[in-house]
Parts: sequence; C-alpha cells; structure tokens
Amino acid sequence: MVDFSTILAGFGDAFTLWNLSFVFFGVVVGQFVGAVPGIGPVMAMAIAIPFTFGLDTLPAIAFLVGVNKGGLVGGAIPAVLMNTPGTPDAAATALDGYPLAKKGKPLKATKMALFSSVTGDTFSDVVLITVSAPLAVLALRMGPVEVFALMIFAFSILSGLIGQSLVKGVIAAALGLLAASIGADPEHYTPRLIFGYYEVYDGLPLASVAIGMLAISEIIRRLSQMRGHVQPAIIIDETGNKDDRRVTFAEYWGCRFTMLRGAMIGTVLGALPGIGSTAAAFMSYATAKASSKDPESFGKGSLHGIAAAESANSAVVGANLIPLLTLGIPGSVGAALIISAFMIHGVQPGPLLFIDQGRLIYGLFGAMVMANVINLLIGQIGLRVWIKVVSAPESMIFASALLLCIVGVSMATGGLFGVAVMLVFAALGYLMTVFGYSVVIFIIAFFLGPRFEMSLSQSLAITNGDLSKIVDYPIALALLLLAAGSVWWLTWKSPKATEEITGDPTSHK
Amino acid sequence: MLYFYIIPNHIEPVDTGWVYPSTIPNAVAIILVLSGTAVFCTPTRHCARPASEVARAGLFLAVLCFGIWLISKVGFIWAAPGVAVGLMALMGERRGFWLLMGAGATPAVIWLLVDVLLDRSLP
Repeated sequence: MVDFSTILAGFGDAFTLWNLSFVFFGVVVGQFVGAVPGIGPVMAMAIAIPFTFGLDTLPAIAFLVGVNKGGLVGGAIPAVLMNTPGTPDAAATALDGYPLAKKGKPLKATKMALFSSVTGDTFSDVVLITVSAPLAVLALRMGPVEVFALMIFAFSILSGLIGQSLVKGVIAAALGLLAASIGADPEHYTPRLIFGYYEVYDGLPLASVAIGMLAISEIIRRLSQMRGHVQPAIIIDETGNKDDRRVTFAEYWGCRFTMLRGAMIGTVLGALPGIGSTAAAFMSYATAKASSKDPESFGKGSLHGIAAAESANSAVVGANLIPLLTLGIPGSVGAALIISAFMIHGVQPGPLLFIDQGRLIYGLFGAMVMANVINLLIGQIGLRVWIKVVSAPESMIFASALLLCIVGVSMATGGLFGVAVMLVFAALGYLMTVFGYSVVIFIIAFFLGPRFEMSLSQSLAITNGDLSKIVDYPIALALLLLAAGSVWWLTWKSPKATEEITGDPTSHK
Repeated sequence: MLYFYIIPNHIEPVDTGWVYPSTIPNAVAIILVLSGTAVFCTPTRHCARPASEVARAGLFLAVLCFGIWLISKVGFIWAAPGVAVGLMALMGERRGFWLLMGAGATPAVIWLLVDVLLDRSLP
C-alpha cells in the first residue's frame, strides 16, 4: 500500500532539524502546561492550533503531538507534589506518587512517572505504526453506504463518554449536530441558520468552537471558583540521600512487567474510541495491585503503583490515533483537536491518508518516536524547573491563556468575528458543564456532523431512498452490529467496571 | 421555537434531493424536545453550582466581551495590558510584580511571537 521509499522519506522528514525543533518545542510547552494544574495538554493544544497555521503540516502536527505527549509527563508533577493532578489522567499517579513525595522522595516519584510514561508511550507508538496501515487497507474497501454505517458506529462510541445521564449525552450530541448544521448544507449548498451572518456561510469556524468550548469555558469555570486565592508555593522536603533523588536501573527493571501490562491496557483501551486514559490508568493500577506480591504497599508510595498508572495513561495517546488515522474517527478530545488541525491544514483524516499523504503519516510516526526520546531528555533535565512552574500564580497563567486564545482565534478566523463566536461557545460550554452536559460529546458530534449528513445523503441516493437495503452491504451491516454492541458495552458494562475500580461514577469519561 | 419558528424562517425550503437542508435541524429539534422533557421529568444526581459562582463566571465573560470590544476600537497592543490587568485584579491578584508582568510581559511576548516571529498581524 505504502512503498518502502515513502516510509523512509517520511521518517527522514521527521528527523530534519527544523521538524525536530518543533517536536522539541511542543514537548517543552506540553510539559510546562501539564505541570500547571488546570491548563493541561488539551487546552494547550486548542490554544496552539491557530499558531501553527503558518507552518507546514508536518511540523504543525508534530508540535501538537509533542504538546500532548509532554503534557502527560508534566501532568504527573503536581499529582506527585501537591496531590492535585495537572491532568485527569494523572489522578491514579497521585495515589502512590504523593505518599512517596511525602516520604521525602519527590524526585524519585517524578522520575519513575517519567520513565514509565515514556515506556508506555513508546509501546503504543510501535503498535500504532505496525497496525494502522493494514487497518487502513481494510477501511479503503468501504463505499458511501459503509461510510454511513461507520458514522453510526462513530456516534455510538459517544455513548462511552456519556457518564451518568444517557439523556443528557443525547442532548449534548444533538446540540453538536445542530451547531454543525449552521452554514451551507452539503447537498444543495443553501444557507442554513446563518441569521444574515455570511461569515458562517461555510460553517462555524472550527477554531472558535473548539477553543471556546474547551479552553475558554474551562478557564472561566476555574476562575469562577477562585476567591482571591493565590496558589501556594510548594515546600519540598528531601531526605538528602542521593538514592532518593533517582530511580536506579534495578528499580526500573523491577517494574518491567507492571509497565508492560499498563502499556498493553492503555493501548487496547486507547484504540477503542471513547474510553479514555483516566479509565486506563485506574484499570492498570487496580490490575497491578491485584497481581502484586505486596498489595499493602500500594497507596503508600509504591513505585509499581506509579509505573502502572503512568505507563497506561501515556499508552492511550498513541493508540488514540489508530481510529483517527484509519477511519477518521476522533476517539478523544485530544484526537478531535488533532483531526481539526489536519483539516485546517487541508488534510482529510481517514484511510486515504496512507495513499494520498503516506509520507506525511510516516513523518508523523517518526516525530512521535522522537517526541518520546525528547520527552525523556527534557523530563530528566527539566523536572526541577517544572516543579517551580507549579508554584507560578494562576492569575498570570490564566490571563495569558485568555489573551493567547483571543489572538489565536483572531488569526485563525481572520478577524474579531471568530473571537465573538468563540465567546458564545465559551458561554455555552460553561453552561453545559454547570448543568452536567458533556462538552466532549458536543465537540465530537460537531466534528462528525457534516460527514454524517453527507454520507446519509449519498447512501439514500445509492439505495434509492430505502435504507433497509443496507443489509445487502455486509461491511455496513457488521459496522451497525458493532455500533449496537458498543452502545450496550459502553453504556452499561464499561461504566460499571470502571466505577468498581475507581469508586468514582464519573471517572470513565 | 426551533422547530416551529427558527427552522422554517431561517432555512430555505428545498423539495428536491434525499436529505433536505431542514432534515437534520428538524430531527435535532425533535430529539431536543423529547430529551428535554425526559430531563425535566426525571430526578437527577447532578448538583447545581452556587448562583454566586455562575454570576462570577458571567462577570469574567463580560470583562472578556468588553476587552474584545476595546481591542476592536484601539487594537490589541493598546488594549491587551488593560484587559490583562483587569482580569488579574478580578482574580484577586494584588502583587505589583505579577500585575506588571501581566500588563507588560504577556502582551509583549504575544506581540513578539505573532508580529515578529510568525509575521502575522495582531487584531
């Protein structure tokens, strides 16, 4: 499907100094924002997307992947030092990381988190590189009817993100579809719901909706909970023992099976859209504890506990790209943002990517591998710097983030109209969060909406208006059955399993 | 309102093809009515946020709206320091050093990044 020379050329592109510098910069930014509780890699990616417009596609996407990967490493730092995870993914890391830091070994805890994170991430990247091209070959055999069934399947995976209320999940998805229908309709190209604003004739600007819903609304939510409180500086007690500041090879090697198990759990759950890295981290932690010879040490500063959580949550990142690159389905918010970055750069994710943009995809794979190496190096050098970052005042960080959002969206949409749209969606996102509606479901439905409508229109044309003829298409039928199965699994079985592990009914989101 | 007023008045009627421009919005309107009724009629475990917190969020959004209006009038370079200081003061920041950083360093770094490095114009 993709010849060897394309693969080599792609990897060659990734290893140019120019592209490596963007991966490096992305990892630095990712670790920085991951270390700040409340910002996180998703918000950083949302803010950064408009700033990548001027770049070629590969450095732009590689930069965003670097932010995502670096963010997971950085997220462990406040989890370990403050028992306040910088990202939800790092919540399981805090269970053992924080007790270990309290014992006077904060650097040992953060370094174990770094090593296991890079190990898990590398494992899932290898799986991604190995399986995505063969899966894309299968996906290429699909016509419009199969694509329609795939869209139904894509919507069914949203049920994995629904949480406590099925009805609220449906409402969030419906609102996302409604927002996606603003602008010209795909069949007749007549304007819909534009209310005289011809700026949205081609649809609502992706950057405005994504940044408004994901970044601004989250910042506003956090600001509304602040009461003149300035984040306290962290006092780190150390034992003074050199061995307590590092992870020896024997300690790392002793955790190899824990990390391998965590990486496998993270990869499998990451490849299934809609489950998420938080659930993977807790599942891996619970499995490691259950199979440990010394389960009592868990929760009291066990290196195995940190290794289990970090290897699993980081493995999800690479695996998340499997449905994105092969089917064009975003399985998480991070993947949805990467898909939007692809689209903004004129690249349509899906199985054709491997034919049309093989060199770009293998360049991306190369960049991902290099991001892991850089993550390790920057993490080793920068841990002490990021520890200082955790104590930076939130007021400064949030004010800067808001200004960056305004400038970024203005650049992306060519003026302040897009910024106004961003504020409308920020208000909507805030209200949805306040009333318990999933913003993630809204965003994914918004991304899938136009493709869903187009594939529905094409399928009706092919089947002459009789969708029951879909049974004549075996792949489509299989996808519909898979959709029904995933709704059953993700709505009823998976939340119960996750709740049993985490004790938190919302943690599977 | 969406089904009976907004969609008929703001979507051009078309009677050819398989999926009309109003098909998806109408379907969404029906889903919203049915689901909204279900949410209204069923008890929820979700705890609402305190009204003061929602009002505070509204205040921050209002400051942002004002900031964007100000940017449209005088430009980012002149408006950004005031917007940054206003937001930081509203967050409870009273330390002069950090307020100065917010007013000076942040807009300066953004100008350097966008105007100088990326060669794009600021709003």
